[in-house]
Amino acid sequence: MRLELGKIFIKDVQFADTTKVEKGILYINKNEMINELSGNEHIKSIEIELAHPGEEVRITPVKDVIEPRVKVEGPGGIFPGVLSKVDTVGSGRTHALKNVAVVTAGKIVGFQEGIIDMTGPGADYTPFSKLHNVVVIAEPIDGLKQYDHEAAVRMIGFKAAAYLGKIAKDLTPDEVKVYETEPLLESVKKYPDLPKVGYVYMLQTQGLLHDTYVYGVDAKKIVPTLLYPTEIMDGAIISGNCVSACDKNPTYVHLNNGIIEDLYEKHGKEINFVGVIITNENVYLADKERSSNWTAKLCKYLGLDGVIVSQEGFGNPDTDLIMNCKKIENEGVKTVIVTDEYAGRDGASQSLADADPKADAVVTNGNANETIVLPPMKRIIGTTEYVDVIAGGFAGSLREDGSIEVEIQAITGATNETGFVTLSAKGF
Amino acid sequence: MVKEIERAGIPVVHICTVVPISLTVGANRIVPAVAIPHPLGNPALDANEEKNLRRKIVLKSLKALTAEVEGQTVFED
Repeated sequence: MRLELGKIFIKDVQFADTTKVEKGILYINKNEMINELSGNEHIKSIEIELAHPGEEVRITPVKDVIEPRVKVEGPGGIFPGVLSKVDTVGSGRTHALKNVAVVTAGKIVGFQEGIIDMTGPGADYTPFSKLHNVVVIAEPIDGLKQYDHEAAVRMIGFKAAAYLGKIAKDLTPDEVKVYETEPLLESVKKYPDLPKVGYVYMLQTQGLLHDTYVYGVDAKKIVPTLLYPTEIMDGAIISGNCVSACDKNPTYVHLNNGIIEDLYEKHGKEINFVGVIITNENVYLADKERSSNWTAKLCKYLGLDGVIVSQEGFGNPDTDLIMNCKKIENEGVKTVIVTDEYAGRDGASQSLADADPKADAVVTNGNANETIVLPPMKRIIGTTEYVDVIAGGFAGSLREDGSIEVEIQAITGATNETGFVTLSAKGF
Repeated sequence: MVKEIERAGIPVVHICTVVPISLTVGANRIVPAVAIPHPLGNPALDANEEKNLRRKIVLKSLKALTAEVEGQTVFED
């Protein structure tokens, strides 16, 4: 499967009379965009605000971040099974508006959404402070259930990204990158001397608003399966997660997964990157056992020499991570696991809830319990009302002057477990 | 908590969904629970069935509490 990804680099985003891209500037007709997103019976009103890198703006509570993309050639459309028909995507050509994101904000659960600061120390912790953010705030009707609210906001976010993405269809990309994964046997024949490497992509599926969807299927109901990496670039996997902000994968991260990107970079040179095994993180022990058995089985079946396993979230998914690691290693396939830590504010506690000697190659993306003081911002998009109860917040987090002391857990993407972060550890 | 209470000489049964974590932390008597969001219940069942389920888990735990164990033991059905 071969995908050309055309990138259009956006330098600025402004409201205007017509929605278009001209000389690298994205102009948005706000009323037209709001009309496009309206019509959901569960939503009372929609507002759109812009937030640019370096501005004194705080966006919270943040639910999802989505990159605008559009299918230009090839079967299907972006977000198959959700926004487009359920065709198999990942081939042909796709265009993406780079440096821009749709951010959905507003209270759903309250304590399980995140913070994005566009400047100051908090901005260094979130990769999304570097983007021109088109923030969509959807107000629910009174008495709406959380599940219906989440579903409505999720869909509005994708519609917003599709609305902006479709402008990119007729644009000439500034850069085109080609990704190709051949059928397994051909690929093995082509690179007989390179180690066969796979990616085990763990998806947060604990339920109770911690959900991920694959081609529209609630991923807690899948058994581990194979995807071409390019399917994911076309939105085959989407986030429906209201969960600790630092280490969930917003849809933007699924579309731009850095592990996939880096494996492709080395594909055909140092390794043979043969594909992605997706698996879930469920709340029944039998599901955890079954899914990790199957990832191990698939790794062996594909004849892999090594895999990278990335986690999403923390706590009991640490067990899914360790089960995957242990069982895959037991099949004679080498593993590197990618995770983050909850080692207490002093960093002295055990980092993961589960452990095993087989997990001897670990990449961490930081300690989510580290605290930070976020200075007051001139403009708040959304509300800081929930900061005291947000995951990573505590009584007194929100101070009278508008500054906030929180664990970095509350910052969207701060310890993302696909490495979509700037935090790193160095030995001296 | 399980380990500290046992250290004081009182036997403990850990009712726990993720048995591997319980094994890692060192509980000696482990009774598997239903699921992480509802360890001692199941919202898919009706009230009578659920009461029955809960009773079974408690009875199994009481039995586990009185059982002699040599090392870590998981009390399956």
